[in-house]
Amino acid sequence: MTLDFTLASKQYEINSEEEAQDYFHARGLTDGLPIVPPTSEKVIACLHQSGMVPTHVLGVEPVRGRVITAEKTAINAVLAGCQPLHFPVVAAAVEAMCHPEFLLHGATCSTGGCAIFMVVNGPIVQELGMGATFNALANSDRASAVIGRSIRLILNNILDVKPGGLDRSTLGHPGKFSYCLAEDENGTDWIPLAQQRGASTDISTVTVFAAGSPRQIMNEWTTVPEEILETFAAEIKANMLHYSVWGGNYVIVLPKQLRSRLEEANWSKSDVQRFIFEHARVKKHDWIKVGKKSLITENKDKEFSALTNPEDLLVIAAGGPAGGFGAVIPPWFGHKSRAVTMGIGVCFDC
Amino acid sequence: MFILDPTAEVDLKPISSAPRLKSSDKKIIGLLSNGKAAVSPFFNYLEKMLGKNWNAKTILRYTKINYSAPADPDLIRELSRCHMIVTGIGD
Repeated sequence: MTLDFTLASKQYEINSEEEAQDYFHARGLTDGLPIVPPTSEKVIACLHQSGMVPTHVLGVEPVRGRVITAEKTAINAVLAGCQPLHFPVVAAAVEAMCHPEFLLHGATCSTGGCAIFMVVNGPIVQELGMGATFNALANSDRASAVIGRSIRLILNNILDVKPGGLDRSTLGHPGKFSYCLAEDENGTDWIPLAQQRGASTDISTVTVFAAGSPRQIMNEWTTVPEEILETFAAEIKANMLHYSVWGGNYVIVLPKQLRSRLEEANWSKSDVQRFIFEHARVKKHDWIKVGKKSLITENKDKEFSALTNPEDLLVIAAGGPAGGFGAVIPPWFGHKSRAVTMGIGVCFDC
Repeated sequence: MFILDPTAEVDLKPISSAPRLKSSDKKIIGLLSNGKAAVSPFFNYLEKMLGKNWNAKTILRYTKINYSAPADPDLIRELSRCHMIVTGIGD
């Protein structure tokens, strides 16, 4: 069977690279950074890479019913700087975001200003040369940067989620430019996030999560697993008091130095999850210390847990080899928006 | 060079407002909160005003389960009893 790669999008003739930049910036079709002009050749190359025809529907935005096609997704991926190899990750992320439990409309329009955090697992991490060690949460490599950026441009251009329009973020955070991380599967004996969430070992996945900005912790003064994890739990508790008390998925990113202490003591990811589940809890009266006493009208000893169950914690091995640092990435809206994991290039016609 | 349009290219259908009420006299009025705390004092005041000054027959208070998601279908069915609905966002 011959697949039809005829594109349906409108085309505009431009005379120079500079004119292309002006075209997109003047119409609010960028994030403010320079773009790659999306030509038919580049877009079709992305679609070929994924085996998707242009009309393939990756998802439907659940509130407004807006259809997100492979063609429009590929145009925005090219715009963000993606090469064809990167596109299947972007396509899978869009599919994941359209699952009802992700709450796409709220996550992208809320005043809370979250960004779409993405974790990539599996063989594709090596294929794309994704950097899971040094500077893992920032400008680590090309693939992470452009895959993360694609999501912002897709939201901006296909779903019209623009600042001051549908995007009502009071502040937002820098992850809204790009917020994509690969797990350092080669640097750990721990089970990868994808397998913890039910994927088989032979596929690559992307996990999407509506998330606040990373909160960095430091504890270089102990080798005791419980003490290391108490620091993470304290940061989660601070988020519960300062931002939102509602529990949901939380992410903790454990770089090599602190992770080694846990691994040497035979702590698994499940052990970490159980410890945080038990220790990341606050009581209502704790609000008194952070200027929120007006919230306490009754039952001041009521306890709130950051996690509904231990599996709500996404434990990710990533980061450079030295430094007693780690990060907590909090949920945008408790359990009302859930992390979703999707296979990359798997069963897209199911 | 030809470049492709990255937008959805959908034709948005205009949405017209429901006909305005000429009077709230003896009408059922719904007040729909998005669920945030700051809506309550505003609606408490509005409820008094509607009853006292504008002679509404009944004022019904509703609250969405999730302030970041649309009202669920059961709630929308319930709201259809009302002649007029005021929505409140408590940010």
